[in-house]
Amino acid sequence: MLARRDLLRACAAWAALPVAAAGCGHRARPEYRDGRVVVTFWYAYGDLVRKVMLDLVARYNASQSRVFVEAVHQGDYYECLAKLRTALAAGAAPTLSHVVCEVIPYLARAGVLEDLGGYEGARVLPFVPALEQRGTFAESDTDGHAQPLVAIPFNRSTPIAFLNARMLDEAHLAPPRTWDELLDSARTLTRRAANGETRWGFEVPISWWYWVAMVGQAGGRLVEPDGRVSLGDGAGEKALRFWQRLVRDEHVMRPPPGRDYQAWQSSNESFLQGRIAMMWSSTAFVRYLEDNARFPVLAAPLPRDVRASVPTGGTMFVVMRGAPDAEKQAAWDFVRWMCDAEQTITWSTRTGYMPVTLPAVEGLVDRGWYARHPNDRVAYDQLAAADPWPWAPELFRVDRDLVEPRLEEGVLEGADAHALMDAAREEAARPA
Amino acid sequence: MRPRSTWHPWAMLGPTLALLAVFFALPIGVAAYESLFSWDMLTPPRYVGTANYEALAAHGELLRIALRTLGYSVLVVAGTMTLGLGLALLLDRPGRLFAFVRASVFSAYVVSWVAVALLWMWILDGNAGPIAGFMRSLGLAPVSFLGDPGWALPTLAVVGVWKLTGYAMIVFLAGLQGVPRSLLEAAALDGAGPWARFRHVTLPLLAPTASFVATTSLVTSFQAFDVVRIMTQGGPARATELFVYAIYEQIFLNLSVGRASALTVVFFVLLLAVAGLQLRVWRARAGVSR
Repeated sequence: MLARRDLLRACAAWAALPVAAAGCGHRARPEYRDGRVVVTFWYAYGDLVRKVMLDLVARYNASQSRVFVEAVHQGDYYECLAKLRTALAAGAAPTLSHVVCEVIPYLARAGVLEDLGGYEGARVLPFVPALEQRGTFAESDTDGHAQPLVAIPFNRSTPIAFLNARMLDEAHLAPPRTWDELLDSARTLTRRAANGETRWGFEVPISWWYWVAMVGQAGGRLVEPDGRVSLGDGAGEKALRFWQRLVRDEHVMRPPPGRDYQAWQSSNESFLQGRIAMMWSSTAFVRYLEDNARFPVLAAPLPRDVRASVPTGGTMFVVMRGAPDAEKQAAWDFVRWMCDAEQTITWSTRTGYMPVTLPAVEGLVDRGWYARHPNDRVAYDQLAAADPWPWAPELFRVDRDLVEPRLEEGVLEGADAHALMDAAREEAARPA
Repeated sequence: MRPRSTWHPWAMLGPTLALLAVFFALPIGVAAYESLFSWDMLTPPRYVGTANYEALAAHGELLRIALRTLGYSVLVVAGTMTLGLGLALLLDRPGRLFAFVRASVFSAYVVSWVAVALLWMWILDGNAGPIAGFMRSLGLAPVSFLGDPGWALPTLAVVGVWKLTGYAMIVFLAGLQGVPRSLLEAAALDGAGPWARFRHVTLPLLAPTASFVATTSLVTSFQAFDVVRIMTQGGPARATELFVYAIYEQIFLNLSVGRASALTVVFFVLLLAVAGLQLRVWRARAGVSR
């Protein structure tokens, strides 16, 4: 039954594409099942994270009799987003989903997200400041307009460094604290065997998220106060040149094959196999790496250049404005339940994503979790250096279309960093 | 034969024409129209004229996508035809062993592209794949076939050839059944060796079959999407961004319906040109053979 309805929705979405009018469609009547309001929740996870999420949804459904959350898997983040946009255009969107931070300003400008500010308790939920919407984004857009509350933190993360503690001990190295130390450590840890086998000192996916971290570390920002997409100007180019140096000149870093999460997964596997000594990845992989490594895994904050800086990542809950009121209210009930300390702690400890509320953090401290799992604490402490994203609707396009492919061109093909970033800035000024 | 009424032929053609109009002409028309707008599906479209085409043409990206797609197609068509014909000639003989090998080679064609892509990703894995292991055993550094911009497109073409060769082989085998044994025997009696018999008897008679295989392989290679989506997502450094994947990426990942529509229109024109060229060559050959 479920598959048939999803199929019909997908068909409706595709059929409506060429003629879909601007703006999203609205569904007038809420869906009920056995007297309960149905909240369709499109989510994007795999493996362990998916299992934990489904466990929580099942627990919520069993905990009350008013709302039934139907969780529907929609592939990875980008596949889920693609389907969500298509469904929004066709008026067949779910009630609830979760999306990457960079796309939230765009969806908010499109008017498809529900303003959650008026929902009970929305303004007083005790979120970790750097992880809630106000801390994740600059307070206002470049025109100075304050933003409505449209996103609630869920699976939040930051990039952190994962180190093979055994290799570092053998080389008498401490976690690198600066770019220079990172380069020196990578040189020391890189080993080339006679059979052509290389153990790489350092690896990081050639990806927007990590580049943004380095732009901040080099003292730049993506969008200037006047709204110009600067991509960090000199800092953005410096970040790319540092990667070029590590990969092309020093040969101490391997760019993993694949794009997006395929590259991340490749790095994780190489790290677990002992083929790389240091890597940058998401805090979300803490549990996975600790559970599967045959060596002690050490997490460390990212090194600094002129200053410490990391972006936040992961996704936030968003409720679709076009959903019936009863479904939106029910979705809010579920979101609030997920933000309770107990659920937040379960989610965080079983996956590695950061706890998003202060009571959850206090609970973890009280239970001695961080004493037993010091790696989990690293990402949380690193939030002191978290830089907010600009509230810029073009941010997602800049990421996917303009920057990400050029980073690969720079690192893999050795294209000039200044020319690449100049071209990206020029394109950012064009209409999409 | 003359129709009883002038509208009879149109009535017969009507259903087909209606299908073509609704599912081919109309979508292309809609794409051409939408290519003149900046639109993300959620906010109102804005007329931008030819800006989408100009943006795609800027920095040579459009040309690179077109050349990449053509290059991939040439590799796939050439590889598929050469291997397919070679295998057909080798396996065109009776016996259970040959039947088993023919079935094995053809089986790749009926497997889904997704399964094929996943299988090859494991084979090509630079860490744990059998090719990397083999290279290490020879004292060679493993090549990152999917991570190196220079290797990625030829690697995808190899996967395409592996998948389509079975189909080409079956069609060539069918074509070989149409080559009269008497002609081959006559050539042999006249002193023609195996190569001369193949070159002057078999190959000319297989020309229509080869043309069919070339056309279908070309169409399939131009439509390549699954293998790109699964294996490389258009990377590294856009080295495997073929037309269909580029359209998908523009509309669904980069949120730009206008750019995707512009790409669709250019792709349509390119396909028309290639099809026209192929038709012209085919007609010229047909004229010569008459």
